[in-house]
Amino acid sequence: MQEASRILYRVQRQSAPYLFVAPAVIFYLIVTVIPMVMGFWMSLHRWNIIGRRQIWLGLGNYVALFHDPSFWRSLYNSLVYAAGVVPAELVGGLLVAVLLNSGLRLRTFYRLIYYLPVITPVAVAAVIWRWIYDPYYGIFTWAVRTVGLGPRDWLNDTRTAMTAVMIVAVWGGIGFRMVVFLAALQGIPSTFYEAARIDGADTWQLFRAITLPLLKPAVLFVLITSFISSLQVFPLINILTGGGPLDATRVVVYDIFDRAFGDMRFGAAAAMSFMLFAVIMIISLLQWRFLGRDVTYE
Amino acid sequence: MRRYLKSATVYLLLSAGGLTMLVPFAWLILSSIKPLPEVMRYPPTFIPEQPTLDNFRQVFKTVPFGRYYLNSVIVSVPTTLVTVLTCTMAGFGFAKYRFAGRSVLFWVILSTMMIPYPATIVPLYVMAHRAGLVDSYAGLIVVHLSSAFGIFMMRQFLSTLPDEMMDAARIDGASEARILVQIVLPHAKPAMAALSLFTFTGYWNAYIWPLIVVNSERLKTLPIAIPEFSGQYFSFQNLINAASLMAIAPVLLIFLLAQRYMVEGIAFTGSKG
Repeated sequence: MQEASRILYRVQRQSAPYLFVAPAVIFYLIVTVIPMVMGFWMSLHRWNIIGRRQIWLGLGNYVALFHDPSFWRSLYNSLVYAAGVVPAELVGGLLVAVLLNSGLRLRTFYRLIYYLPVITPVAVAAVIWRWIYDPYYGIFTWAVRTVGLGPRDWLNDTRTAMTAVMIVAVWGGIGFRMVVFLAALQGIPSTFYEAARIDGADTWQLFRAITLPLLKPAVLFVLITSFISSLQVFPLINILTGGGPLDATRVVVYDIFDRAFGDMRFGAAAAMSFMLFAVIMIISLLQWRFLGRDVTYE
Repeated sequence: MRRYLKSATVYLLLSAGGLTMLVPFAWLILSSIKPLPEVMRYPPTFIPEQPTLDNFRQVFKTVPFGRYYLNSVIVSVPTTLVTVLTCTMAGFGFAKYRFAGRSVLFWVILSTMMIPYPATIVPLYVMAHRAGLVDSYAGLIVVHLSSAFGIFMMRQFLSTLPDEMMDAARIDGASEARILVQIVLPHAKPAMAALSLFTFTGYWNAYIWPLIVVNSERLKTLPIAIPEFSGQYFSFQNLINAASLMAIAPVLLIFLLAQRYMVEGIAFTGSKG
């Protein structure tokens, strides 16, 4: 009897960790791992959601992408978008964090303000900004006219649409980067600054010689994550411009969703997703190689 | 003197930037209480001349706004509870037990954060379609049951739980399930609170999956309904503003009340890379 209860205790003790992680593991299996494998399998087929039999293409979808001007156009647009948004978020977030770290009284208040856009639902933010950009009643149009620039249909003009979207993205993204930099800044011992100040260093020298080198891991983290999220922008584009005008803001993920849910070409869309994956991996690795040589994370 | 000049510059720069951050919110709040003709006036008025709350009532009459709101609550409140529970359990398992496959499983879950979402969401839609989950609450909710970020966060937090506490309970004959309920959950309360705030915000704001998986009017959540509504009723900007404000209100309120925990939680996981 006692033996039986001891065995029972052993069993529950040994199975417990598996039972604890099981829900999460099963969830990730179903929602990420299986779809990922299936996505790769789909990318090798002409995949139609209605038909049961799919046509094997091998690498056909990938080869077709290389000859597809729409793919190159959307990849180019995504890179332009990232080239604008990433540095702005990085420099903006760093600047705000450094300013906030200089011993302010209203620190929490400012941090709150800069973080507000981050928690705002992006879909609603896009709706508000669409109105801000309205060529007749928009407050942006009004502000620009007061300094003498003509009204323009910012989101429907091939010359301004991309920049207009990027402004919204930076507005929504700076707060998160600021928080990461603030956390990193707090890890720098104040004795470093005191010692340098005794040696007669000015503010700019302190920033160049102490702050910036010690922030390198945070800079790299922000650079890579910001790049990854920029290459995956979709909600803003979908609501603000719908990829237009004349494909001026048609980015990679918009193109993927258009192929899948617009044209019902799921195989082609899956292939494009994996191309995006490859681009993201390559760029992240390059950033890591060239900038992260002496950076370690514990 | 130079000191004052310096701090004045800092405040000036921060306020200029902060104002830019705030303009859309201020503009939205002020405009949501203006009647339509005033909203459409050029040059715009800033302080409402005839403030009214009528816009908030009209939204419910023009579109099934109550339904959208209820849908948003359904896909974000119960799922937040489930997510926090699965994350705490998994975080506990990964932090406090050694078992075969532990590091592989944890590594796999963490690395899912790096996969671009289109690579999984397109096949996930095909799977949902085959399982008959497209255009249903089940389909909306199925992606909201756990989170890699939450598992990581809970694991980090629960690593600090002293082993002695668990061993003492075991000597008293407690089962592992009982340790989870009576020791881990009370200990993890602050982390669970922070995680539930993030999770709720994320689910409330979710746009991409609901956009794909739902077609019918009766299942639309606020982030799907509002952009559509603003496309169809673009001449009723007063109603769009009122609707937008009501959609933002819950996350805004939660953040204003609990911003310290949320920002610190993000900093905590963000700074660890």
